[in-house]
Amino acid sequence: MERLLELLRDGHARTLELLAMELDTDVEDVKRQIEYLENMGVIKRVALKPKGCAQCSGCSGKGHPEGSNTCKGCLPDGGFKNMGEMWEVV
Amino acid sequence: MSTATIALLGQPNSGKSTLFNALTGLRQHVGNWPGKTVEKKEGSFTHNGMEYRVADLPGSYSLSANSDEEVITRDYIASGDADVVCILADSSQLQRSLFMLADYAGIDVPCFLLLNMSDVAKDQGKTIDAKAIEERLGIPVIPFSATDTRSYDVFYEAMGRAINNKTRLNLNDLKKQYESIKGYQEICDLIPENALPGYSSMWAAVKVIEGDRVVSAKLKNAVGAETFAKIEEIKKNTQGAVATGGCKFAWIDDVLDKAVVSGEKKVTLSRLDRIYTSRVWGKPAVILTVLLGLIASFIPALPLMGVGSAVIAIKEPVMNALYSAGCPEVIVLVIGDVIIQSFSYIFKMLGFVFGVTLVFGLLEEAGVMARISYVFDNTMGKLGLQGKSVMPFLVSFGCTMGGAAGARVIDNWGQKVLTIALAWAVPCGAAWATIPMLASIFFGPGAVGVIVAILLTMLVHMWITAKVFGGKLVKVEDRYGMIMELPPYHKPKWGSLFRYVFGRTKETFVRVTKVILLVCGLFWLLSYSPSGNTSVLYRIGVAIEPVTRFFGMPWQLFLSYIASAVGKEGAIGVISALYNGGSLGTAFVDSMNGAARAANFNEMMLANVTKPEALAFIFAMTFNMPCVVALAATYQETHSAKWTARIVLYYTVMSLILAFIAYHIGLLIW
Repeated sequence: MERLLELLRDGHARTLELLAMELDTDVEDVKRQIEYLENMGVIKRVALKPKGCAQCSGCSGKGHPEGSNTCKGCLPDGGFKNMGEMWEVV
Repeated sequence: MSTATIALLGQPNSGKSTLFNALTGLRQHVGNWPGKTVEKKEGSFTHNGMEYRVADLPGSYSLSANSDEEVITRDYIASGDADVVCILADSSQLQRSLFMLADYAGIDVPCFLLLNMSDVAKDQGKTIDAKAIEERLGIPVIPFSATDTRSYDVFYEAMGRAINNKTRLNLNDLKKQYESIKGYQEICDLIPENALPGYSSMWAAVKVIEGDRVVSAKLKNAVGAETFAKIEEIKKNTQGAVATGGCKFAWIDDVLDKAVVSGEKKVTLSRLDRIYTSRVWGKPAVILTVLLGLIASFIPALPLMGVGSAVIAIKEPVMNALYSAGCPEVIVLVIGDVIIQSFSYIFKMLGFVFGVTLVFGLLEEAGVMARISYVFDNTMGKLGLQGKSVMPFLVSFGCTMGGAAGARVIDNWGQKVLTIALAWAVPCGAAWATIPMLASIFFGPGAVGVIVAILLTMLVHMWITAKVFGGKLVKVEDRYGMIMELPPYHKPKWGSLFRYVFGRTKETFVRVTKVILLVCGLFWLLSYSPSGNTSVLYRIGVAIEPVTRFFGMPWQLFLSYIASAVGKEGAIGVISALYNGGSLGTAFVDSMNGAARAANFNEMMLANVTKPEALAFIFAMTFNMPCVVALAATYQETHSAKWTARIVLYYTVMSLILAFIAYHIGLLIW
């Protein structure tokens, strides 16, 4: 797991498959290590799942048309779903 | 009737609730754990004349102190209230889900292991030798499927065995693993057995190494401050949770060694991923994908563009009909030159918005977008940014405002400001609707070349911007590493994709209509010259033209460029209003006559604007300040009027420089 963290710290992005290849193991193993490190707070998941402007402080939910998370002019609901997961070393 | 209590322990999705419901049926009640808001589910059942109480423990990843659930769970188990703990693991991913068992090891309560979802594992082509695992662990281990009520006999049998024989986990191999951690043995020796009732010294030592605050506090009470200070001192030199986690996984692998045989083992990348993740071909492949995507987006755009052309075709008949009905000239002109003309552009632009959203939505759904951001992660690093900056950039292709707001994921202020500054260089959805439209008028199939040039310029622009602002905003040590789990390629869900695309198009329609009508109307009004006098705009425009010519823009284009800072959507409307509305002005009317009669934007443009001028305008508009809303979002995210103003000024200057370069390159070509 130390080696996995070393790879994470060098600043390059890698896919799980590439990590598995470099660590000479399989994807399941990398996944469980990431899951563990995430649970132990060593790495954290980067969340960018824009649900409209649900997170934006500017409009704070006012002025949203009914049934929508988005105020006019903001990013629409449902964009960028299948974008993969990203983690970074804390 | 004799009773026994059984506790169900497992990670979320291990099938615990299914088992609990199947065992207890309606004999269950839900309460809270004392003093906590964590749900407590209990129930009971009878089997072979014996009554069993069942406690469904909260689902959690492990037994660390990361949450209330985990602390409640382990304290409940260690209290000895349960006679036996039933640990559930997901057979389809034992490597991962046995972690709970490894974390449990060292709690002194009898247990047995259910390899749940064994049917799923079987479908995956895995064979699991539960007997071999049972021998290694020293507790009953059974393959099980909580959803299959016929398999419950083996459950009752294993439960009975565990209760009667008080089966406990064989810890020898795990201990050996832990002994390889520097400092473990010393810490272990300082903790007397049963210092924490219910927990072994091995378990307590491991939790201390992991930095478990709850255990540390209890231990300090149990062993005294002096001994605990020694433990803390030794702990400093351990590698903490990384080391103990490694031991747990190594132990799990030993337990499973040769007991689990799975179908596929070797890591392989799909052919497409081998290209995308290749150091040499990754970037060209991504750029090619984006280009093909842009070209492909013309196809779904065509029908809506057809509507746009149809709208313009009714302009002449409508205007003539209104004239003959005796309608005042001003109203006829507003209807013809402002409203009908505007809607023609609006529909043409919507065509591109629809096409781009559809094709890029498709790429995103299929999992290609994730690869694009992955491939460019290292480039982000070179710009002094974090890998995750790429996400705001990608969002900016749709909407710069979204990109600026999305920069919120970046926790470092300097990098956030730099990310927003760079995101401005990414042409937004409105620009992508305007660029192909203008480019195809002037350059025909060469429009693709213009788009390529825009994309390349974007990269160079971002690089220069990073150099200009980066030094002040980002320090080298602020950079982070990143892993990305690329989503599997999958077939897009057409229903939701089209809902998204239509929603986006509709929203754009509403917004664009407002902006275009407003801007178009305003500029038409300013350029309207009923008495044969020249209009206000004409006079201003001609006065500054010597300067704007320098950047390759006649005054009409320059004013459109100014308007594009309000909203790119407005730029086209302004061009049209200026070239059209001026047709009443005496000086302007001659040059405009032919084009105005044709009532066709394309021909009007070709008659009045040269190719180098068009190129200059396209670059100036694209790299101008994105729009007022993006400006507001930037201020909101940076909380700095100074930096917002700097970025605006920088983009204005840069866009004019780019226009100048494009114009002169254009002059060389044409």
